[in-house]
Amino acid sequence: MTSGARIYLDHNATAPLRAGVADAMARALALAPGNPSSIHAAGRAARDVIEDARRQVAALCGAEREDVVFTSGGSESNRLAILGLVDGARRDPAARLSGRAPHVVSSAIEHPSVLATLAWLRARGHDVTLLEPGPQGEIAPAAVRAALRDNTALVTLSAANHELGNRYPVAALAAAAHEGGARLHVDAVQIAGREPFDIGVLGVDAASVSAHKFGGPQGIGALILRRGLPFESAAGGGQERGRRAGTENVPGIAGMGEAARQARARVARDASRVRDLRDRLQAALLAIPGTRLHGDPVERTPGTLNVGFAGADGQLVVMGLDLEGVCVSHGAACSSGTVAPSPVLRAIGLGDRAAREAVRFSLGPENTVAEIDRAAALTAQVVARVRAAEVPRQAVVA
Amino acid sequence: MSTRERIVVAMSGGVDSSTAAALLHEAGAEVIGVTLRLSDDEGVAPGGRCCSPMDIEDARATAAALGFAHYVLDRRELFRRAVIDDFVAEHRAGRTPSPCVRCNQHLKFGPLLAVARALGAEALATGHYARIDTAAGVPRLLRARDRDKDQSYFLFGVAADLLARVRFPLGEMTKTAVRAAGRRLGVPSWDKPDSQQLCFVPDGNHVAFVERHGGAGRPGPILDHDGRILGAHAGTHRFTIGQRRGLPVVDGQARFVAAIDPGTGTVQVAPRERAGRRRLHVGDVRWLHRPPQDRRCDVQIRHRGVARAAWVQTQEAGSVAVEFDVDVEGASPGQAAVFFDGDQVLGGGFIAG
Repeated sequence: MTSGARIYLDHNATAPLRAGVADAMARALALAPGNPSSIHAAGRAARDVIEDARRQVAALCGAEREDVVFTSGGSESNRLAILGLVDGARRDPAARLSGRAPHVVSSAIEHPSVLATLAWLRARGHDVTLLEPGPQGEIAPAAVRAALRDNTALVTLSAANHELGNRYPVAALAAAAHEGGARLHVDAVQIAGREPFDIGVLGVDAASVSAHKFGGPQGIGALILRRGLPFESAAGGGQERGRRAGTENVPGIAGMGEAARQARARVARDASRVRDLRDRLQAALLAIPGTRLHGDPVERTPGTLNVGFAGADGQLVVMGLDLEGVCVSHGAACSSGTVAPSPVLRAIGLGDRAAREAVRFSLGPENTVAEIDRAAALTAQVVARVRAAEVPRQAVVA
Repeated sequence: MSTRERIVVAMSGGVDSSTAAALLHEAGAEVIGVTLRLSDDEGVAPGGRCCSPMDIEDARATAAALGFAHYVLDRRELFRRAVIDDFVAEHRAGRTPSPCVRCNQHLKFGPLLAVARALGAEALATGHYARIDTAAGVPRLLRARDRDKDQSYFLFGVAADLLARVRFPLGEMTKTAVRAAGRRLGVPSWDKPDSQQLCFVPDGNHVAFVERHGGAGRPGPILDHDGRILGAHAGTHRFTIGQRRGLPVVDGQARFVAAIDPGTGTVQVAPRERAGRRRLHVGDVRWLHRPPQDRRCDVQIRHRGVARAAWVQTQEAGSVAVEFDVDVEGASPGQAAVFFDGDQVLGGGFIAG
């Protein structure tokens, strides 16, 4: 993506395809053209591709091979996990809900795919508790413990926040959930493949991961789901051990597997390098007068930098940087182009105006020092120009 | 940064603004296409509207086909407050609103020029049929060469200091030439039909729209000029001055709306020769250059209307008295009245009464 003069700093939205991934997908298309459920040779070739990829994804996440369910991406994994585990609990005699709808605990700063699914549950009679974060985006295990009820079936929280980059204490959150008799699902989309992440060690019951965040193709992800959990999902052709029906996206899965294989080999080294680059960019940006840092400055994914430039509309800064060849984001990618300020920023206490001034930089392993320095210099220029234009607030805002 | 001239082009999704952008791009400018998202409407209506999701896609496709940047700015909330709410309130008050004038005033020129400044662009261009002449130093706003498409009526409210940084690439072109240029330059929507409707009322049913948004006027009597009651009507919002539709014929002569009283719900009608006005008061007047005390000019009181000769006299701040040489029809409170000297827009305001 740093093709020509472009500097790509939007890895939380998506990451550039790793070298070799496109080839792995092309090979799958050419050599494994069958339906993985068919018993003939063409089908078996496709089956082999996806099982190999499954091993790679499992190894990347410290999961068991059988626990990996391929999906169309992080959003589908989130929705599938939440609805499947909640419905599973509802039908599970051992949950002793006595006919009450299961209660779910989550937070106000989850990804839209989680919040929308929870809103859907709420509209159908489920109680949902959304924990409010602290001013730096913190969610404490004690808050989870306090929110648990005797009919809580599920706690669903991010391992890392997509906008702020905050990292959450997953092992402690799992312990808190389990003490209260609930399962823990983590949205690990911003972590898996980018930092060490071991589901077995953490004690998590389910986790969502997404290929295009760690150099695989868009449109493919996985839900890691421990065996034995009560889980209900839409019926169909029985693929993915009955947990996610539909003919598998063989080339997509091949791409995800190759990306996972490469990521596993490099994840610790890449995380360290990205953190250094991010810290360098942060120092340069904080030197611009009137710049605020959003989120936890310490417990944060290595590549994320969410800042606010006082007096400069964030969307105009993003556009201005785009015109200079720098790709960044204003809030979550899914919501770009709409004027409503980010609910994540509002939840950590930013007022309307401050929330609109937020710009998210998110780095990746292919970024260089030269790119960071140039991006910082361009940001200073663009911010100065946007501030000087004095776009009337009314012109930009509701 | 860039060395080419950077210009923000307001793109509605229609063939005019898309072709304006394409012409500037062909001439070597660094075009930045910007579309304002103004409505939620996904409704199916013939031709385009401005700035609905379908039109946004047409603008995006033009930018992608020609190879320049395109952004969407969500201004639905501001549009609702500045244009739609005003439209509804004016109907409720028995007046005729000028939504396109309001949109130009509040959403298009001032705010988009600020956006252009913020993005380092020297100018803002639109697909309006109008001309700006800067030969004399101070910018003059002129009618377009294509009189049939001329939109200068809607632009009187754009201040002269803003006009200095505005371009109208289509001002010297006919509509036919614009479509031909669009086709030649590869604008995907070059043959998209023009919308004849207000952008936020794509089905053209203003009455139903106003009713849905709480702007219905009182029902009441239809009174002839001599006081005779001719019938009843279901709401004053269904009428505008000069309207003939919906009115009875009396003694072989058609009737036209002469006045509307929103307080009593009375619609006054008259035969054509009695339904006109000689004098008007125009309020909220702005002049592009120095306000005159007392002068002759041509006054246009509706888009597609002919500008009629009149004396205009400045009164207390922001208000003008207009006296036409002959009676004019259809002078409705709320409508824009625009003052011309030949082809040049001098200024304008809103008919007060």
